[in-house]
Amino acid sequence: MERLSLSGVAFLMYFFGNDQTLVFAGQSCATPFSMGRSCFSDRYERFVLNEMTPAASSTGSPANSQAKTPAGGALPITIRDATKAYGRIFALDNVDLDVRSGEFLTLLGPSGSGKTTLLMVLAGFTRPDYGSIKFGEREIVRTPPHKRDLGMVFQNYALFPHMTVAANVAFPLKLRGVSKPEMDQRVEQALETVQLGGYGERRIDQLSGGQRQRVALARAIVFEPRILLMDEPLSALDKKLREQMQIELRRLHDKLGMTTVYVTHDQREALTMSDRIAVINHGRVMQLGTPNEIYERPANRFVADFIGESTFLPVSVQDGVASFGGQALKVAQLPRGDHELLLMLRPERLHLVTNGEEVRDSAVNAFQAQVREMVYQGDSFLMYTELEDGTEVTVRGMTRRDMVSCLPAIGDAVQLALHSDDTVLVSAEGA
Amino acid sequence: MSDLALPTSSSSLAHSNQQELKRDARQERFVLFSLCSPALLLVLIIMVLPVGWLFWLSFLGEDGNFTLENYQRMVESKSYARIFRNTFEVSLLTTAICILIGYPLAYFLSQLPRRTANLCMITVLLPFWTSLLVRTYAWLVLLQRRGLVNEWGMDIGLWDEPIKLVHNLTGTLIGMVHIMLPFLILPVYGSMRAIDRDYLKAAANLGASPTQAFWRVFFPLSLPGLFAGSLIVFVLCLGFFVTPAVLGGGKVIMVSMRIATNIELFFNWGAASALGVVLLVLTLAILGVASRVLRFDQILGRGH
Amino acid sequence: MGKDKSFSSRSRAGIAVAAMALAAGGFVSGATAQEKVTIASWGGSYQDAQSKALFQPAEKATGIAVTEETYGGMSDVRLKVKAGAMTWDIVASGSGSAARAGAEGLLEPLDYEVIDVSNFYPTLKMKYCVGGDVFSTVFAWNTETYGENGPQSWADFWDVEKFPGKRAYRGKVAGALEPALMADGVPMDKVYEVLSTEEGIERALNKIRELKPHIAVWWSSGAQHAQLMKDGEVDMTTGWNGRFDVAINDGAKAAYSFNQALLDYDCFAIPKGAPNKDTAMKFLAEISKAEYQANLPKYITYGPTNKLAYEIGKIDKAVAEKLPSHPDNAKLQLPVDIEWYGKFEQKASAMYQDLVTE
Repeated sequence: MERLSLSGVAFLMYFFGNDQTLVFAGQSCATPFSMGRSCFSDRYERFVLNEMTPAASSTGSPANSQAKTPAGGALPITIRDATKAYGRIFALDNVDLDVRSGEFLTLLGPSGSGKTTLLMVLAGFTRPDYGSIKFGEREIVRTPPHKRDLGMVFQNYALFPHMTVAANVAFPLKLRGVSKPEMDQRVEQALETVQLGGYGERRIDQLSGGQRQRVALARAIVFEPRILLMDEPLSALDKKLREQMQIELRRLHDKLGMTTVYVTHDQREALTMSDRIAVINHGRVMQLGTPNEIYERPANRFVADFIGESTFLPVSVQDGVASFGGQALKVAQLPRGDHELLLMLRPERLHLVTNGEEVRDSAVNAFQAQVREMVYQGDSFLMYTELEDGTEVTVRGMTRRDMVSCLPAIGDAVQLALHSDDTVLVSAEGA
Repeated sequence: MSDLALPTSSSSLAHSNQQELKRDARQERFVLFSLCSPALLLVLIIMVLPVGWLFWLSFLGEDGNFTLENYQRMVESKSYARIFRNTFEVSLLTTAICILIGYPLAYFLSQLPRRTANLCMITVLLPFWTSLLVRTYAWLVLLQRRGLVNEWGMDIGLWDEPIKLVHNLTGTLIGMVHIMLPFLILPVYGSMRAIDRDYLKAAANLGASPTQAFWRVFFPLSLPGLFAGSLIVFVLCLGFFVTPAVLGGGKVIMVSMRIATNIELFFNWGAASALGVVLLVLTLAILGVASRVLRFDQILGRGH
Repeated sequence: MGKDKSFSSRSRAGIAVAAMALAAGGFVSGATAQEKVTIASWGGSYQDAQSKALFQPAEKATGIAVTEETYGGMSDVRLKVKAGAMTWDIVASGSGSAARAGAEGLLEPLDYEVIDVSNFYPTLKMKYCVGGDVFSTVFAWNTETYGENGPQSWADFWDVEKFPGKRAYRGKVAGALEPALMADGVPMDKVYEVLSTEEGIERALNKIRELKPHIAVWWSSGAQHAQLMKDGEVDMTTGWNGRFDVAINDGAKAAYSFNQALLDYDCFAIPKGAPNKDTAMKFLAEISKAEYQANLPKYITYGPTNKLAYEIGKIDKAVAEKLPSHPDNAKLQLPVDIEWYGKFEQKASAMYQDLVTE
């Protein structure tokens, strides 16, 4: 605290809505704790891009009406039973997955989860042991890569170093026997699409990382494939550029409308860009859903842990009532089945209530805790607290100037409040 | 640039430490340069001086005076032109055959898993551990009229009369290709290994059949190694002595052999050194033309 | 090979490190009484034979300490003479190259007052070089192809109808033109006369051109032509008799004849600037004596240059009859004319190279 106050920066709490304020005892700004309305939909909508589920696009939603679809339209991908074992390790374990036509689907998982294997199976570079892959109605599992007619952006871009930018982009057109004038025109158009108009005569080694990435993209889309695969295309870029490219890629997808399968291990990237995310681990699809579903209602501990930060508390269930440490929990939804359950605590969903204040809202669960450490991160801060049973729980809050005086000190006893809508129980499986 | 230069004389104000810092920078460059002086000295002593001496000697006659007779002799006697043509012919053929055999082999090796490839590489390099002379004589034993190849060939009825495999151009080429092959395979293999597999995947993904991917992507990317290897082989061939001497049966006469003959035959070094000078000049000329035509400096200059 | 000695001489000049010279054992102040010579020869079995037959016994008899080295020929001598750093006292050489080196001024003239050559064959010595052993350039044939009674003359060697088969011939001009002229019908004693004009050389070359389609190999060394016969690679070749004997003893199906062969010799010379010139002269006088010369055939089938060696009873009759310089064999042969080589070799060599590379 001393360090923080020396820096002259105020710490403020941020709660659900700007209209909602929560303050602490002994402060003039103190008001009774109350939970605001649930507003998931506002919070998690992508701030730049409209939600563009395939369902929406097929019903001709306004956001998608101007989208240019590739010749012949986007294709759905149907994966059934796809299995690939390396020795005893299953890189793919009977994977079933449907990628909808025109959808931006992200395969998200840690390294070694099988997400890249799945992409390579789609591209044709890895032959599965068994299973079926269909592009539209066409079974392609035995089709060699060069006959699959899909665009792909490689992790290291794989731009041909002995060719100019234009020659790289023209490569797929040349193979398809496109006439010279048309080729030139389409190459320039593709380069303009990725904002590299006029760069055609450059050599690859004269380009920056971000420019190479765009060339790779131009090369992958210039022949208007109906399916586009991307293998961690942004991982080599620095943070700023990466975030900028995420938005650009997403825009481009919206514009071109081709079915896109995107591989990443970066959960934020996945949440930012995807229509749907397939979380993959141990060669299996752990959960398939919209970013919202994946974040808010993770199917199991693995997904909850991998997406966002979480602390898990053991929960016992009796007679349809879940409880933690003898305290009955107000839960939005109790998962079915009789797995062992865990309470997922997201740092940004917990709110501080200083001791003495009573939590009045009936839809709130409160936990007693003690402040151990504070970390200032500019736009937000992290508070490490300890529950009565010794479990460490992290709380994240936004910093706001007028909240400077409302923070507890290290060692203070606080209450952590959690709205019942945020009280999510997950299966302990898949850890 | 001049307008960018820091004001010195024009400005009455001397910038603090400007001269001193400049001197420090100069000193640093000098110290750095002196690091390469042993190498430079070595090159001077073992390269420049002997070649210069060779050049000088080639213009000296038997009486020690300046003369062009050593070069005149080469123009007048038909055998010299034939020997030079022969030398370049043998070198080119050897290089060509090395490429035809070595390139596919290097490609095969580069496609193997690294461990297996390393094992195979040892077998490629194994001949290096045997003396050149031994290998050359081994070919003589194999290829001669009553050698193993002819005996087996006739035993299994491939041919009835012994075929001439040695003491001619054929034998010379077989021996030289065998000795030169590793010099080609090593750089080619190296450059092939350096080619990212993703380039080929990308080519396939963009619609290139394996053959198209090879010719449009893999082959151009392996060219720097191929050029380097071919150049090494070609230049080494030009100076070859033992193998053509043993396997050529006196019918394949290379410049190096004629140099040896001339040292024995003539009183002065000039007769031999003039041959060396002409070979050197012709080699440089050919390399110069080749580098123009093939523009391989440009290809070599392209990083991955 | 020759390093120790060169170090010692340089140390005297104060250049090299004295300790190295001492270690090399060659540091002599000049005041020491012992006489010594350094001999350079070709190495291998040839030098072994020379050492056992000539150098070692002579060292014992005279007390002159002998140091043996190997060298690469007269071009090495030229290098040392021109550098003014001669370390050898005696060099063994072929007669032809010795003649040329002498003419070039690389050798000291020999003092035949000291070296007694009264019993030498007259052609086996010259101003700069005294004969050390005699060998012949003969024709050899494969006995499996032609039987024991193969070709008997150079005319037979050229007769590809009577003796069909592959030939090998020397790739250099030395010893190559004389047989051609004899095959063309020039009597033995007129050969060098005919060769002394360009037309004569051309005549010999044309005769070789005739045979060229049947020449499978142009040989370049003694080891090579011996091997060619041993392996049956060719049916007939020219070559040096000693090499064929070794090959025949080794099981080669070959025979050769001294008829119309070229009688040639190796010799010893003293290079210009030899550090122990006078001792060297004495040493050459010693090893030219018949008793040493008679030792040589025990170790290699090259003949003595001193006729007396056949008479002192040291050489077996059977061995003697196989030696090129045995009077019965010598009379069949054409002694090589060193003077002709001194005058014409370069010219003839150029013409010969044209022929070979045609």
